[in-house]
Amino acid sequence: MLPLLARLDRLALYLGLWLAAGALLASLLAGRGGLSPGAAAAFAFPLTTAYAFVCLSALYVARSTPLAASGPVRVAATALGASALSSAAWLLLARGWSLALTQWTPLRIPFADTAAIVFGVGILLYLLSIATGYVVAAFEQARDAERREFHAQLLSREAELRSLRAQIDPHFLFNSLHSISALTVADPAGARRMTILLGDFLRESLALGALERIPLWKELALVEKYLAIERVRLGDRLQLAISAGDAGGCLVPPLLLQPVVENAVKHGVAHVLEGGLVRIEAASTPTRLRVAVENPADPDRPRMPGTRLGLTNVRDRLRTLYGTEAGVRWTETEGRWRVEITLPASAAGRQES
Amino acid sequence: MSDRTLRVIIVDDEPLARSVVREYLRAHAGTEVVAECGNGFEAVTAVTELSPDLMFLDIQMPKLDGFEVLELLGRAVPVIFTTAYDQYALRAFEVHAVDYLLKPFDEQRFAEALSRARARIQARAPVPVQALLADARPQAGPVARVLIRDGGHVHVIPVEKIDYVEAQDDYVCYRADGKNHLKEQTMAAAEASLDPARFVRIHRSYILNLERLARVELYAKDSRVAILRDGTRLPVSRAGYARLARRL
Repeated sequence: MLPLLARLDRLALYLGLWLAAGALLASLLAGRGGLSPGAAAAFAFPLTTAYAFVCLSALYVARSTPLAASGPVRVAATALGASALSSAAWLLLARGWSLALTQWTPLRIPFADTAAIVFGVGILLYLLSIATGYVVAAFEQARDAERREFHAQLLSREAELRSLRAQIDPHFLFNSLHSISALTVADPAGARRMTILLGDFLRESLALGALERIPLWKELALVEKYLAIERVRLGDRLQLAISAGDAGGCLVPPLLLQPVVENAVKHGVAHVLEGGLVRIEAASTPTRLRVAVENPADPDRPRMPGTRLGLTNVRDRLRTLYGTEAGVRWTETEGRWRVEITLPASAAGRQES
Repeated sequence: MSDRTLRVIIVDDEPLARSVVREYLRAHAGTEVVAECGNGFEAVTAVTELSPDLMFLDIQMPKLDGFEVLELLGRAVPVIFTTAYDQYALRAFEVHAVDYLLKPFDEQRFAEALSRARARIQARAPVPVQALLADARPQAGPVARVLIRDGGHVHVIPVEKIDYVEAQDDYVCYRADGKNHLKEQTMAAAEASLDPARFVRIHRSYILNLERLARVELYAKDSRVAILRDGTRLPVSRAGYARLARRL
């Protein structure tokens, strides 16, 4: 449907423009057609108003012969043909209107003198409408392209976020299931505890992963669950110390720490014979949040693929979400591996409104 | 032969994972667990001392990974890999593993692997692990560290600590940190395992770490000598000098 007819204010503006066309026709009829000014106005304004609606069809003419796809001859032929046809119809309308005016009012409209002017103006106005139609079509096309591009961008970013969120290593699941398999015979109660821990962890990471931002304390609680499961596997070799203080209320993207803590276990503690401590410390100022994860690392550990992948994913994700406002750095000194994440601090209360 | 007890060693850093293998083995008469090891070093020592018939071997472990354990042992211990990672399966069969069990695995699959191992041991098919590892190496890319077994003891030398490698009869000698480490290996295999951007074969008997080179001097007509930063002098052959010149 024509968008013009759906909005009253736009329709009024459109008809207002046609008043100018009416004035043009009236002055031509008065000057060249020999009509009295009153007769010219009474004849011209209703006619151009009616023609305004006829000329709306010019938009379809423009759409049906797009400039890019049709040759200049075809465009010109279509435009001229449509103009002649519309103007002829308009002329017919003008004939009827002139008869009506002559019959029921004292005004005199000699039709023979005015026909050429009405027909010529009709063609010109219709051609002008087609030209406007092409401008409108081009505008619509540009806007559509823009919208499509924006949509594609949105989709790709969403896909990226989804894949970045899917940070939980499947091998963690396989190893945990293998531990449960071992426990079913040796320690059935322990096996049950482990399935419940695993179930809790998975359910919560799915729930949190679906959110845009979560308070840091929730992320840390999830990390604690994860490490409790890993402790069943690795035994007392794995120790944990978390301190967050007031920073717990800051908002972070969900599962941001998960790959970092996974690395701390998989490439850190698991490779040290006597095990060690995973220490997580968070601190915040009114504007910045800093979270550090530290773990022991054997400098001579076998290099398995994927050590850096988790951290590069964290870096990419922070860049997508915060641009240059956030960052992650990692260092290895004297057998300790340390990852530090900084991001803008935003408190839970402010964002949830 | 077929009635002989199968002496088994279990290598995994997770106690629970070891207990699964132990439990499954209990159902199979004629097997005996002679050792359990929690890391690669222990595994090398235990295999050297106990010469087991079969080894269950995890891949991701502290100190040495499963493939490094095999490389060091350099002898035919039939191996069944147990791991949660499926991406090493191809490499496992390149080193002629008997089987590759993906965690978690069930008793049936375990029994299958075990009977496969028994069949291989009965056929007494020797597994030239060393040769196969040498074949597999180029695909794995340059090594980050060189592993040297000294009886039941293992030395790990990061490649950046190596000054040069010298051929010595059936061995090659890695010179690092002022010490010499002998490894049963050919010069060609040593050269292939080291990063060509960093190490150059300067002579039939020498591979040099480029970072240690101070200068090259003409020694006699057509004969040159490389002088290292610590003053060591190594001969440079004509072909070796050509390779060196291309690199500098």
